[in-house]
Amino acid sequence: MKIAVLIKQVPGAESALPINSEAIGVQEDQVSFLMNESDSYALEEAQKIIEAQGSGEVVAISLGPDRVQKIIREALAKGADRGIHLQSEASGLVDPLTLAKQFAKVLESEHFDLIFSGLQSDDSGMGQTGIILGELLNMATASLVVETELGENSLKVKRELEAGWFQWVTLTLPASISIQSGLNQPRYPSLRGIMGAKKKELKIVPESDFIVDGEKQSIRKVFVPKTDKRTEMIDGEPDAVVARLVEILKNDVKVL
Amino acid sequence: MLSLIEKIVFLVLVAGSLGLAWVNFGKMFKAIGRGSRPIQWGKAIRNWPKGLAVFLGQQTLFKTRPVVGGIHAVVAWGFTLYIAVNIIDVFYGFIPGFHFFSEHWFGQLYRLFVDIFSLFVLIGVKYFVFRRFISKDPKLETKEPVLLSTSARTGMKKDSFIVGMFILMHIGFRFVGASFEIAGHGPDPYQPGANLMALLWQSFDPVIIVYAEHVCWWLALGLILAFIPYFPYSKHAHLFMGPLNFMVREDRRSPAVFETIDFEDEKIEQFGSSKLEHLPQSQILDAYACIMCNRCQDACPAYTTGKELSPSAIEINKRYYLNEHLNDFSAGKDLDEPMSKWMLTEEAAWSCTTCGFCVEVCPVGNEPMVDILRMRQDLVMMESRFPEDAMDAFNKMENYGNPWGLSPQERETWMEGLNVPLMREKKKADVLYWAGCAGAYDNRGKDISRAVSQIFDKAGVDYACLGNEETCTGDSARRIGNEYLFQMMAMQNIEKFEEYGIKKIVTQCPHCLTTLKHDYAELGTELDVVHHSQFINDLVKEGKIAPQPSITEDVTYHDACYLGRHNGEYDAPRELIQSVLSEGHLVEMDRNKETGFCCGAGGGNMWYEINTGDRINYERFKEAADTKATTVATACNFCNIMMEDGLKVTGHEENMVVKDVAELVLEGLSDI
Repeated sequence: MKIAVLIKQVPGAESALPINSEAIGVQEDQVSFLMNESDSYALEEAQKIIEAQGSGEVVAISLGPDRVQKIIREALAKGADRGIHLQSEASGLVDPLTLAKQFAKVLESEHFDLIFSGLQSDDSGMGQTGIILGELLNMATASLVVETELGENSLKVKRELEAGWFQWVTLTLPASISIQSGLNQPRYPSLRGIMGAKKKELKIVPESDFIVDGEKQSIRKVFVPKTDKRTEMIDGEPDAVVARLVEILKNDVKVL
Repeated sequence: MLSLIEKIVFLVLVAGSLGLAWVNFGKMFKAIGRGSRPIQWGKAIRNWPKGLAVFLGQQTLFKTRPVVGGIHAVVAWGFTLYIAVNIIDVFYGFIPGFHFFSEHWFGQLYRLFVDIFSLFVLIGVKYFVFRRFISKDPKLETKEPVLLSTSARTGMKKDSFIVGMFILMHIGFRFVGASFEIAGHGPDPYQPGANLMALLWQSFDPVIIVYAEHVCWWLALGLILAFIPYFPYSKHAHLFMGPLNFMVREDRRSPAVFETIDFEDEKIEQFGSSKLEHLPQSQILDAYACIMCNRCQDACPAYTTGKELSPSAIEINKRYYLNEHLNDFSAGKDLDEPMSKWMLTEEAAWSCTTCGFCVEVCPVGNEPMVDILRMRQDLVMMESRFPEDAMDAFNKMENYGNPWGLSPQERETWMEGLNVPLMREKKKADVLYWAGCAGAYDNRGKDISRAVSQIFDKAGVDYACLGNEETCTGDSARRIGNEYLFQMMAMQNIEKFEEYGIKKIVTQCPHCLTTLKHDYAELGTELDVVHHSQFINDLVKEGKIAPQPSITEDVTYHDACYLGRHNGEYDAPRELIQSVLSEGHLVEMDRNKETGFCCGAGGGNMWYEINTGDRINYERFKEAADTKATTVATACNFCNIMMEDGLKVTGHEENMVVKDVAELVLEGLSDI
């Protein structure tokens, strides 16, 4: 059993997010980067499956600049067997189709039985990369997984639907699934793990090995939404109040 | 006095006793020798005055329970005197007509002393036997849910009984023997007690009197011979292992600080202590020094609020585990049983606030807190097993450089509206003011940071802050047992100190103080670090600021463990409070200074909850409220947070306030 886990390095939820001078991203040196939350659950789930099997390997894979090696090492410290770093200078805001194609180029030859990814990244939040990758590699796919049960050449997953509904789906292997946060308790690396991680394989794949056709989207501008709080008390006769309210809704709020 | 046959029998028994003692003591020291970090036995020679002071001065018994301590001192002095008495009695038995300076004033004084002390010891030990077996003082019991092994529970009772009976009979028969001697040879004005007893034997046949004197001699000294090999199995060994423990104990910069781990050393396979042999030798010696008095248990904030931890249970379990497995363990066998199964449960280990009270009150110099800290290192670094919320704190420290998990770019928000100098702009300053994470992120902590910097401004101190360049000192990480994370945090800060050439630091928090001053020194970075209360108190003494006495109501001061017991500072905050009192008084809680009671947040307990038992901070706040003071002064951010919580929960919001000493001083300076 070979499981790939796609992990992404994203700005932490509590990190400061100053916008960079080109206004197309954040000022990276001011940002605290960490492993995307749902990815850490995906990693834990993969490790639990391999531990229950007693054999196999978990491969932690990330795409990005050299800083992403920090989270690959973290995954190795937690117990992943090896890591692959797809070296790319692109920021975290590449469209999911392009990303999936890039991953597919590198991962095709690995013949993974399973590909796990977090439900969505905490920065761009597209939530598609793992699923598109599965399609590109001709794998069964499922999103929003909250429970897994490994069978004979199959994976039964519980998917979260809307309005409190759940669905059990059985996927024939190979399969690619995206995992929802909270289905397990991600572990803290032991010191043995941290020390051992230094000796584990971390393969670096240069960008030239996964060039794909042009991106399908580009960022025009990143900005902090303007918040504006105004209160206007409307006094007077009911007719005048209604007239003023309609005027505001038409001209200021623009909903009429 | 003795016949030839008696003499031969006695010498054979002495040889047997000493032979058996050699074997048993050998096992005991081999067991101690199985520990890691060898004891520097040479220190015992260098530190003999300390050992003697403990042994004869009995000075360590009075921090708590002074009355019982006093009775103990009398028993101990009497027993010490009996070492000489036993030797003299052997001469008396072996050399016909021998009397120790019989008519010399020294001999008279000797007999008078022995006579009086025998009675004192008999009364004292009877009291101890009464207290343990009849009145059953609850202080000598250990409550649920603390783990106390079955062998410890039954063994302790048995051993106490044996020790009590041994002393009573040994001293008792010596005393009765003296009375028979008087009955046979005529009264001795220097043995009033024995004289009185001799009246009972007046009508006895002289032959019976001689026989009786022999029987008493044999019982008194025979019991000693029987007891000597038993020492390594009895808590009574404390009488020499206790002083020895003080003589060879590790020199610590601060009670919770010990050596760092070299993570580059690939030969180290075990981090922290999981099994008994992982503990340092001095910690195994602790088990032999323990007299099981439970002073530490009385003091422990976790035990007294009903949690699973009792520091004395650690030592008692350790001792009975050693007794039970002494042959195997001393022979070097791997017993392969983690301490969490028989010595200290994991929850108990997490319940420790590292307040250091147990170490402070222990009359034999034990450090149960160090066992806990070392066990935590194993649980965190080897097993990855610790409270879930502690993991959250670790991740936050790792990702954001502070256990609050707030943005490292927001460390300067407390400075808004003030003109706080920053190191990155100023480049050089006499002192670095270390606000710490609480001082930067907690709302009350920010108030205190603002108060301190305003005082500095008024006193004209040349200072600067690191602001966003500061990162957590790693205190909580180290106390929880995450040495690796601690070193990661420490290295970042040490780099900054080197970059700016920082030598002198004033910290707002006593935890930062301890970590920067002592833990960083273990890493090789020696810094001159003081607490804000110490620094501000010096400013007052030097006349740089003159706070006006303005407080008209009573103030009580809650000692921060990491300022008091961990750094020995009890006076500076009190002096500051005194400086701003006009009509009010500084009123002390029952437990103060060396015996101060923890707020409950130390040792990482700030970051996770132990749900067993009551809240430590409520207990402490009630004690503060009992003083009727209207202000509870603190000198630590954690204490401040815990006391404020206590204030709200116990319903004192209307009539009491919690304030840092710096805030009180600033109030006294406000109209200048």
